[in-house]
Amino acid sequence: MKKPTPKKTSARAVLARLFGASAKAIAIEKSVLTGYASVGGGKVCVIGTSNGTYIDNEAALRLAAHVIDCIEKNPKTPIVMLVDSAGQEPNRVAEMLGLASYFGHLLSCLELARRKGHKLITVATGQAVGGAFLCYGMFADRIYALDSATVGLMPISAMSAVTKIPAAVLQKLSKTMPSLEFGAAPFALLGGVEAVWSAKDDVQAKLEQAIATATSEDNRAELGKKRGGRKLALDIRKKVLAESAR
Amino acid sequence: MSGVLFHEQTARQRIAALADAGSFVELLAPPERITSPYLAQLGIPVSFDDGIVIGHAKIGGKKVYLAAQVGQFVGGAVGEIHGAKLTGLFKAAARDRVPCILLVESGGVRLHEGSAGEIAIAETMRAIFECRALKVPTIAVIATDIGAYGGIGILSTCCDHRIMTEHGRLGISGPIVIEKWMGKKAYNSADRALVWKTSGGKTKYLLGDADALVHDAPEAVRDALTKLIGKSKPVNLGSVKARQKELQNRLKRFGATDDPNVVWKGMGVRNIEAASLASGPEFAALAKRGK
Repeated sequence: MKKPTPKKTSARAVLARLFGASAKAIAIEKSVLTGYASVGGGKVCVIGTSNGTYIDNEAALRLAAHVIDCIEKNPKTPIVMLVDSAGQEPNRVAEMLGLASYFGHLLSCLELARRKGHKLITVATGQAVGGAFLCYGMFADRIYALDSATVGLMPISAMSAVTKIPAAVLQKLSKTMPSLEFGAAPFALLGGVEAVWSAKDDVQAKLEQAIATATSEDNRAELGKKRGGRKLALDIRKKVLAESAR
Repeated sequence: MSGVLFHEQTARQRIAALADAGSFVELLAPPERITSPYLAQLGIPVSFDDGIVIGHAKIGGKKVYLAAQVGQFVGGAVGEIHGAKLTGLFKAAARDRVPCILLVESGGVRLHEGSAGEIAIAETMRAIFECRALKVPTIAVIATDIGAYGGIGILSTCCDHRIMTEHGRLGISGPIVIEKWMGKKAYNSADRALVWKTSGGKTKYLLGDADALVHDAPEAVRDALTKLIGKSKPVNLGSVKARQKELQNRLKRFGATDDPNVVWKGMGVRNIEAASLASGPEFAALAKRGK
């Protein structure tokens, strides 16, 4: 199994790749990204994280504030969400002050944006794991990942450490169960990522196309079934809907 | 009161105690034998409900959709089937414009199933907001030691309302994880009082993250549900701007302290000792919760 070797690309380089010269207007403060840029000549709002930073209460508030700013000042402008975060830092004070509620608030702001006609596109650019991915990136209409991104719940080594199941066992099972594997490609098999963009791709053109084609209905269970990585979810959901309609 | 403790009940007992007598109809019930292929492959016991009981019932004559997570089964953690049942239920609630109640008891994603559970939680969040857009009330009841953690902690904050007891705990990272990360000196996970003041119902109620703080009894939970079942909270520009301000103020006021008692005092608790010993509703009466 080839190990994913996360290349250290600077946050500015990632932004330039996605937004060209317009990336200059995006602010990076304590690894939190906020600003406006352009994609294919159209304005987009950008929120995100970089350098694998931890998202704390303050970071969540800053992202939320920028979403509100966009809703108020730039109606219907697409929102591009970049994810490169190792998660929420396990911290007692953050928990005491209700970090979950800060994340819930960020999600509410994004939901409001969606209802008001903003398209929401996520690009996983670096680490997109656990709670960091759940608190905004996974809430998009459509989710993409650079092939250099590490996407998923956690690496097999970490899963093994917590569950006490030998890593070799998980490794072997992951061949037939992509859910256990860690990375952008297996996550796409589950339907969690629409498409993985490679180094060769013209990502600006891809992003433009992603914005143009996005719709707001959640297609992940359908994708997961079609791609064979998540065979049960859609049918179980349909069964609930059918049995409850009786 | 019956003397029954809500946190000691099983998921099915909780549902039976909250629903009008005989009104609960389970969906995808255990006889259908829908079990996790992941756990089977790992040689871990499976459960015929995959750790979540879902269905519909009546509460005070009003139809509701109800889900109860089973904490005794892998900590109520969310795998592919568990998660899909939950997504389906909220989607049914949106379709039928029927309130949806989740009795939470989960540490979050079921690690044995990897990313599938994580995606299921994200899908359920979308379904919860589908309900909210239609003004269909969604309520999370957080009333056990296992509480609402990880992705399920975040998901609980997406619902219109949270009902908690003093037993309930709400957060993302649990005390053991934080202890490992920050060291025992900063957070001793065996210090129960500190754990409860960090993530417990009383602190969450004080700060406004729980809408009701009730006795650890099914009757009390039912009363609170009856009051909230018909009420939805809008997600609009006014509501998110007000919340932004509130959360900013909270961080400004308390971000520099690591002492929960400072938060309690700041939120209007005058006698910490008495408030620590008070039951949920007594506590709610003692503390004039800051807005």
